[in-house]
Amino acid sequence: MNNRLNDAMDCRASDRVPFVPAIYEHKAWFVHSTPSIVCRDVKLFTEALLAEYESIHPDALTVGIDVYNVEAEAVGCQVRYYGEGETSVPAIEPDTVLYHGDDDMGSLRMPDPSKDGRMPVNVEVATNIVQALGKEIPVRGAVSGPFSMAASLVGPENFLMLTITKPALVHEVMKFCAEVIQQYATAFVRIGCGIVIFDSQSSPALISPDMYRDFVLKPTQELIRSLQMLGVKNVPLIVGGNTTDILEPYLETGGNNILCDYPADAGEFLLRCSAARRAFRRNIDSSDFITTTPEKLGARTRECLDEGKGYPGFILGTAVAPFGTPLEHLLAIKTAVEEYSGKSSA
Amino acid sequence: MKELQELAEQLINGYSDHVARLTQELLDKGATPQTILNEGLVAGMTVVGERMRSGEMYLPEVLQSASAMHASLKILKPHLVRDGVESRGKILMGTVKGDMHDIGKNLVGIMLEGAGYEIVDLGLNVQAQKFVEAIQTHKPAILGLSAMLTTTMLHMKTTIDAITQAGVRANVKILVGGAPVSQKFADEVGADAYARDAVKAVDKVKELLAA
Repeated sequence: MNNRLNDAMDCRASDRVPFVPAIYEHKAWFVHSTPSIVCRDVKLFTEALLAEYESIHPDALTVGIDVYNVEAEAVGCQVRYYGEGETSVPAIEPDTVLYHGDDDMGSLRMPDPSKDGRMPVNVEVATNIVQALGKEIPVRGAVSGPFSMAASLVGPENFLMLTITKPALVHEVMKFCAEVIQQYATAFVRIGCGIVIFDSQSSPALISPDMYRDFVLKPTQELIRSLQMLGVKNVPLIVGGNTTDILEPYLETGGNNILCDYPADAGEFLLRCSAARRAFRRNIDSSDFITTTPEKLGARTRECLDEGKGYPGFILGTAVAPFGTPLEHLLAIKTAVEEYSGKSSA
Repeated sequence: MKELQELAEQLINGYSDHVARLTQELLDKGATPQTILNEGLVAGMTVVGERMRSGEMYLPEVLQSASAMHASLKILKPHLVRDGVESRGKILMGTVKGDMHDIGKNLVGIMLEGAGYEIVDLGLNVQAQKFVEAIQTHKPAILGLSAMLTTTMLHMKTTIDAITQAGVRANVKILVGGAPVSQKFADEVGADAYARDAVKAVDKVKELLAA
């Protein structure tokens, strides 16, 4: 079993820094298909994950393509899927949001992870991957964080406005979303899969640190605690953007393997995460992954690795790899990670 | 004028009802729509922009202020049209093909509208050809392109290439922005400017129009 990621999350030294690239819509590229097709097809989705593993040998795999749509779709929102050859990422149709801020939330129903939307597709894919690779590397199911799911359900702008006009209602919606996510995550845990929570709508790019404390912290803490009670020792919590200003409450969520995205202050993360004995993932900017060169990516990787040098809780990742990222570019990052510590991996 | 100052303050606080009432009262008292626009709404939104830049205001509060601004503009617009008041410039904007995110674009639109520019918003998931046609129809001074994803940001180049091929590139300055976008990327795709946030976008538009 490749335990690099688990060792890092326990802040325990291993042979090298774990490498966990963010491959979501790009998974479809490995099977010469599109995100809209692969995310609805168990066979192709499974093959894509297996191909990702065979091609890159990352230190963990994540089951998820359009990770922010799944829970809201299962509750009843519609997702726009693109036609043949269109590589765009599926997204919630803005006109199909389910909840408009009325005081009555009765129209929202709890989905069944075994039946509703694509939850069963993702859980089945996770089952396949756990069976195929679960003894080799950590496999994690991707779930939304409560704030991001609520933003999908209500519409991001409406939801942000409600934080001011109807804060009590926001708390209610958050509670509902946390419950949906908890049910969905439980379905992953039951088949032996780990969990990653994605909650980038709660980034300081959108809400203030005070709002994070008011609205996000408690339901996220409760969600993570409930997953820990199910036996998931470490629950990664991914919030993109510059999260330096929410680092304290971010750590208070109980999430481990928190994200230090490329605009965030790696020095500050190193200081506070090492004090809290918590792992963090430093992301390489992926905006030029298609157009850059392997040499430039190698140099950038070494710079990132320098930022966490000597800290056993340091994980190297990437921002979301765009669909069509050349394989040699991702491998250049992986090679740089291996060479940095003088350790290669199969 | 005390009422104009109050209008600006209520707009900053995001009180739509108060802003609408004050706008009507000012008109009834004989204030010109242009004065209300410039010394009330634009003045208020300028403070909103400054507070956003300094981290005193975040998106939810800005959206409240924008809602208040729109409540006032709904009353003011017929008067502005009647008086022939021209905007500071027409800005066409949209999120590129395949991208369903529009918070960033909307925020830029709010700040530009609050600075006195006319906005033509094509919405999200806009095909390159639709941008070309809109340039020909609306004849904007500036086109703002937004993308939120690393996968969709590549359509900025497709869009700019289509505009060039259609022979209308020289008619319009192009400003790009969005979470994964950078100055380097803006240079690579042939944009005229890059703005990292909504407040910066207003500065860039002013620079582009002054050039």
